[in-house]
Amino acid sequence: MIKTVKKLNIDGAFSNSYLLTLSNGKTLYVPKAEDNTDYQNILAWVAEGNTIAEAD
Amino acid sequence: MALSKIDVANMVTGATPVANGGTGQTTFAAAGLAKRPNAKPIIINGDMAVAQRATSVTSHNAVSYTTVDRFKTVCETGTYTVIQESLTSGAAYLAGFKNALRLDTTTAEATAGSAGEQTTIEQRIEGFNLQAFKKGTSSAEKYTLAFWVKASKTGSNLQVNLRDVDNTRQIGGTYSISSADTWEHKVINFAADTTGAFDDNNANSLTIEWFLDGGGNYSGGAVPTAWEASSNADRNVTNFDLAGNTANDWAITGVQLEVGEFSSTTIPPFQFEDFGDNLARCQRYYFRNNAVDNIPFAAGVCNGTTNARTVLYYPQTMRAAPSLDKSGAGHFKVQIGGSVHDTTNTAFYYPNNDQALLYVDVSSGLTDGKGCLVIDDGGGSRYLEGSAEL
Repeated sequence: MIKTVKKLNIDGAFSNSYLLTLSNGKTLYVPKAEDNTDYQNILAWVAEGNTIAEAD
Repeated sequence: MALSKIDVANMVTGATPVANGGTGQTTFAAAGLAKRPNAKPIIINGDMAVAQRATSVTSHNAVSYTTVDRFKTVCETGTYTVIQESLTSGAAYLAGFKNALRLDTTTAEATAGSAGEQTTIEQRIEGFNLQAFKKGTSSAEKYTLAFWVKASKTGSNLQVNLRDVDNTRQIGGTYSISSADTWEHKVINFAADTTGAFDDNNANSLTIEWFLDGGGNYSGGAVPTAWEASSNADRNVTNFDLAGNTANDWAITGVQLEVGEFSSTTIPPFQFEDFGDNLARCQRYYFRNNAVDNIPFAAGVCNGTTNARTVLYYPQTMRAAPSLDKSGAGHFKVQIGGSVHDTTNTAFYYPNNDQALLYVDVSSGLTDGKGCLVIDDGGGSRYLEGSAEL
């Protein structure tokens, strides 16, 4: 179950990856890649009305 | 004297060639290699030899990969200990298998908590590896699934399904556990399907599922002995009820999927792969880099005095850019020259199918532009891992 998703930037530019935090506290670095199943889950999570947080 | 014919099948199997047409002739078909001569097994890690994540996971009640690679443990009913079991006796052992995937029920659930819960073991296969079945064409091939299975209780009509993810179709087969706690070899045939081709890509096209327990949504229909539009009611018609008692367990090994129709006497021998080849094939989907005693994970360059930017190369080109994870942020050090510096943060950026950037922060002491290594801190259970599983 996804809790939060945040963009990851480097030197002010999007680094093609997200920090995914699950409801059990586990974190994953997920690439923006449509054939990655975690990214597919992020897209489904967004489709449910959730929002990806901007990078710090 | 010129040779008119050469028995290529015997060359493939390593047996002594015999004259084509003579006594003892061996053909491609008899060798079971007619459809895919010299090919790797379609099932990856069918002998359960590779378990990168762990050899035992307790209290499992989730949908995830736990122990042996490539076999997904979908455990929603009951709670289980999932084990890469070492075999020391029995028919499967005598057939050459030293490992199995085993589920032991540790918390019973007499009736599935909800109608939609299931406990299955799956292998998901990408479309690239399925084209030999010629599914969706007039030349479509039959399927034969073989495996060794053992359970703590007998049962009949246990169901195993082939699920075509691309076209939302399925077909089922059944087997029995004739004797408790005894390895039995099962060979199940599935019809060809002239409807719906497998996509020729790296996504999941076919899921093989061994149904072990399920709620009401998965029963009430009939075992689909011909390909049909997917129907949950047909996936677990007779419930084995693995979660029903803490005395229950179920184990499997020696899984093979063949192109064509074979019986228990004609099924090709299991293709035991070299362990390194097997591991490499598993690492297309998952890798775990365990380290102790200051082993380097990545190399790169210092960026200022508190940051290093390094490249992490994966052991294999992966199916997709993987999701990456690590043990604690402070489990690593940056080595520069003869000095090492504790990390305060680690993160992955710009991952693709072959590598990712591993950035690490330290409190101070780096020299801008100097080369560096990221090493583990010498503690236990330090790792980096990547998953591009299906």
